[in-house]
Amino acid sequence: MDIKQTDVIIIGAGIAGTAIARELSQYEIDVILMEKEADVSFGSTKASTAIIHPGLPVADAPLKTKLILDGNRLFKQLANELDVTFKKTGELTIAKNENELQELKEMKRQADAIKIPEVEVINRKKLQSMEPNITKEAIAALSIPTAGIALPFEITIALAENASQNGVRILLNTEVTDISRGADNQSLLVKTACGYIKTRFVINAAGLFADQIAAMLNADDFSISPHKGEEYLLDKRVGSIVNQPILTVASPWVLVMPTVDGNIILGTTYTEVNNKADSATTLDGFRKIINDAKDLIPIISPKDIIRSFAGLRAMNTHTSDYIIEASKKEPKLINVVLGSPGITSAPAVAKMVVEILSDQGLKLAKKPNFNPQREKMLKFSELSDEERKALIAKDPRYGHVVCRCETVTEGEIVEAIRRGARTVDGVKYRTRAGMGRCQGGFCGPRVIEILARELNIPVTEITKKGKNSQSLLFKSKELLKKGGKDNNGSSKS
Amino acid sequence: MVLQKADLVVIGAGPAGVAAAIKAKEMGVNNVIIMERAEQLGGLLHQCIHNGFGLQYFKEDLTGPEYAYNFIEKAKGLGIKFLLETMALDISPKREITAVSNKEGIINLHPKAIILAMGCRERTRGAINIPGTRPAGIFTAGVAQRFVNVEGFIPGKKVVILGSGDVGMIMARRLTLEGVKVEAMVEILPYVGGLIRNEVQCIHDFNIPLFLEHTVVDVHGTERVKAVTIAKIDKDRNPIYKTKRKIECDTLLLSVGLIPENELSLKAGIKLDPVTGGPIVDETMQTNVSGIFAAGNVVHVHDLVDYVSFEGELAGSNAANYILSQALFPKMKINLKAGEGIRYIVPSTISGQKKATLYMRVLKPDRDVVVKVGDDFLRKHLPIVKPSEMLKIIIPLSKLKMLKDETKELTISCTKGRK
Ligand SMILES: Cc1cc2nc3c(=O)[nH]c(=O)nc-3n(C[C@H](O)[C@H](O)[C@H](O)COP(=O)(O)OP(=O)(O)OC[C@H]3O[C@@H](n4cnc5c(N)ncnc54)[C@H](O)[C@@H]3O)c2cc1C
Ligand SMILES: Cc1cc2nc3c(=O)[nH]c(=O)nc-3n(C[C@H](O)[C@H](O)[C@H](O)COP(=O)(O)OP(=O)(O)OC[C@H]3O[C@@H](n4cnc5c(N)ncnc54)[C@H](O)[C@@H]3O)c2cc1C
Repeated sequence: MDIKQTDVIIIGAGIAGTAIARELSQYEIDVILMEKEADVSFGSTKASTAIIHPGLPVADAPLKTKLILDGNRLFKQLANELDVTFKKTGELTIAKNENELQELKEMKRQADAIKIPEVEVINRKKLQSMEPNITKEAIAALSIPTAGIALPFEITIALAENASQNGVRILLNTEVTDISRGADNQSLLVKTACGYIKTRFVINAAGLFADQIAAMLNADDFSISPHKGEEYLLDKRVGSIVNQPILTVASPWVLVMPTVDGNIILGTTYTEVNNKADSATTLDGFRKIINDAKDLIPIISPKDIIRSFAGLRAMNTHTSDYIIEASKKEPKLINVVLGSPGITSAPAVAKMVVEILSDQGLKLAKKPNFNPQREKMLKFSELSDEERKALIAKDPRYGHVVCRCETVTEGEIVEAIRRGARTVDGVKYRTRAGMGRCQGGFCGPRVIEILARELNIPVTEITKKGKNSQSLLFKSKELLKKGGKDNNGSSKS
Repeated sequence: MVLQKADLVVIGAGPAGVAAAIKAKEMGVNNVIIMERAEQLGGLLHQCIHNGFGLQYFKEDLTGPEYAYNFIEKAKGLGIKFLLETMALDISPKREITAVSNKEGIINLHPKAIILAMGCRERTRGAINIPGTRPAGIFTAGVAQRFVNVEGFIPGKKVVILGSGDVGMIMARRLTLEGVKVEAMVEILPYVGGLIRNEVQCIHDFNIPLFLEHTVVDVHGTERVKAVTIAKIDKDRNPIYKTKRKIECDTLLLSVGLIPENELSLKAGIKLDPVTGGPIVDETMQTNVSGIFAAGNVVHVHDLVDYVSFEGELAGSNAANYILSQALFPKMKINLKAGEGIRYIVPSTISGQKKATLYMRVLKPDRDVVVKVGDDFLRKHLPIVKPSEMLKIIIPLSKLKMLKDETKELTISCTKGRK
């Protein structure tokens, strides 16, 4: 058995795993991040609405409350270092009657108690001036200016890039299938399709599958119950019909919010499902969300929807709080189970995990040459004509617009591939190609072609999101020649 | 910054744009430039390798590329300048164009007139909200057409097609001929969406199971499409769940409508018609912005390319008039209004000073109807009408001259009747 060795293996490259990897990358230790999917952020993270919550107390969840508050405070610096978009938009929670108003006032008292700044209960008039499209039924709102919005996949990709820049090895398409205790009792053996790796610590940031990871060591008795959240995205054409996330006291899940790219998201549902792969949208979910959204912003019309999607929140059945601790039965395993929300808290969670590792005896010496800065990708659509001209003169591929809805050029797509995109979705999350109103109808085929060319593999091997998600299964005439060989996509990979 | 001299810039080198450019050039406009973001001319015709093009224009049955070739050769012979792989990014209300190409970088142009001929795009899954998972294997029919006919790839082996637009029907036949099994064509309306000739030649002749008043209510599969569930719908278009049936397939094609491509038009301050999704134009094909004309699918979605060419020529000749002598334009005095049974009419205004050619679509299929212009000003009996088949009504000048001077509006209707 060929055994390689490392100090820390992180399982799962969602926001949690990548934030931890990046935090650990400033120390003189060897870290490997393993992800079963073809790219980082393909789990719960990619579907997150990514409100950077202000940190209002969450019932029966003191750790969650603290880490959200800390995360919110750390977010701006993180976004600066990684050069990702973070807009401090503030958020508004709407009350429609006297009871709800009383609740807002109680929320305000709680916010003041933990020193969230500038929180205010605003009246109808002020609300109307801040959000002209708000429902006539809203009588007041709680305004929290420290809330913000970000893009979950952008941060996760940036965290991974920066971690990798600083020496973390990231293994994609690498599923951890077993973990066992090393013969020396000082280590764990992590099994993947490529064999075993011996490690001093395992960080379990496997999201929905964290219970399965813990079970590999018979370590902990929590289990994860997926809770689906559906979301509907509106065309940019509708404009900024809201300027910040609009929430309601009546439900913690309902929202209408802008994205940092200028779309509007309508969300969400909170439905327990029994299958960890069930991210299907439903007719019921659609109807509920449209109704809820219209109750907040009446001018919303389902005609403007360009995409629907759903994500699963990994809620653990053990506690309503986060689980972030060294396992009691196996302290070399550190469980990081966030459920929701987990984007906001990630920077604080990462710091906490470092402390736990240190408490467990991992020596952490700072690297002298750690570089916290990551350079973001150029976005042609955000450049001035002069900048565009200069860029095209240097590299003509920036003069070739591939995605017409979002004005993404071939130059950007090639750069995304250079930075690690291997799938159509990977290109999409890095460049926005295919995220606009035609949803890749026009650029999808081009992106597949460019991926095949740059990676030097056949077009029929290019996938939407890894594994058996090939877009094009056959070459012309192939079905005629072979009389239709058996294929449902699964025989190729 | 490259500044090119141009009298007329046409945006889009599909049949509308090329026909418009030819006409303008023939009428004496000097510098005519066509800007096209693709690497070749011809627009959508390039991927339509089936026949059925040109029966009206050339009185000949041609394939898409053959039809396009006739125009392209003529345009080249006339010395029209083509900027390929050049995408127009912005048009200002003052007719300043910003475009980008990999050869020339950023291009700025300020022509005397512009013709918009950007065509249309296909409606996607998001726009019609199909519930279910989001695996690979869901394509619009036009994208699949391009893959099969231009790039040489077959998306999958077992296909369900949602929607019965023309492109979907053409693809049902095309894929069948490639050895693909088309398991079903599913249409929410009680009748087929596209042309009757395509229904006969592409669906019935190939025994493709057609489910009318049905829709896709679920998509299955996480990596690649594994199946779709279809169901019959009730009169409010809600699925009737007891009629659900699951069809195994690896591909779902969508042929659920086309939307005129007007992002640029909006930037130029052009008003769009909420029904067609295209610019509101007068009988000269001019939009509300002076000197900006439009033709083809960017104005309203056509079922036959021949009419696209006619419309392009109309826009081209009027743009030429505009450039050469602005004074020639009569005032548009009469609004055309869609009355009972009519979905829309192009153009929306006419001068009454010359023969008017009106294109329109009816709201629902019917037999034995009368299309009436004005109260009883002009009437035409039609044995059969369908929303998918565009109607063309010509009002001769002699008739228009009979209108009272104060006539400001003509309502056009389509009602049951024989004369
Ligand atoms: C609809 C919705 C809305 C949300 N809105 C917000 C919000 O507004 N604000 C906010 O802060 N949070 C929000 N959240 C919550 C937030 O998205 C999650 O808390 C966060 O993404 C969890 O990140 P994670 O890294 O723990 O999990 P994940 O992103 O799921 O990452 C876990 C990773 O582990 C991988 N993995 C699993 N098993 C294995 C294995 N055996 N081997 C290798 N890899 C494995 C998975 O493939 C996955 O990529 C929302 C969530 C949803 C679903
Ligand atoms: C998929 C499909 C299949 C069809 N099949 C048939 C058929 O079988 N029979 C039939 O008679 N008719 C068919 N039609 C209808 C007919 O072909 C079209 O109506 C016709 O092609 C429309 O011509 P057009 O010039 O308006 O648009 P298009 O042919 O779409 O041309 C528009 C051109 O503009 C370019 N363009 C757009 N935006 C920009 C920009 N910003 N900058 C530069 N260039 C730009 C596009 O690249 C494109 O080349 C089909 C239509 C579609 C959509």
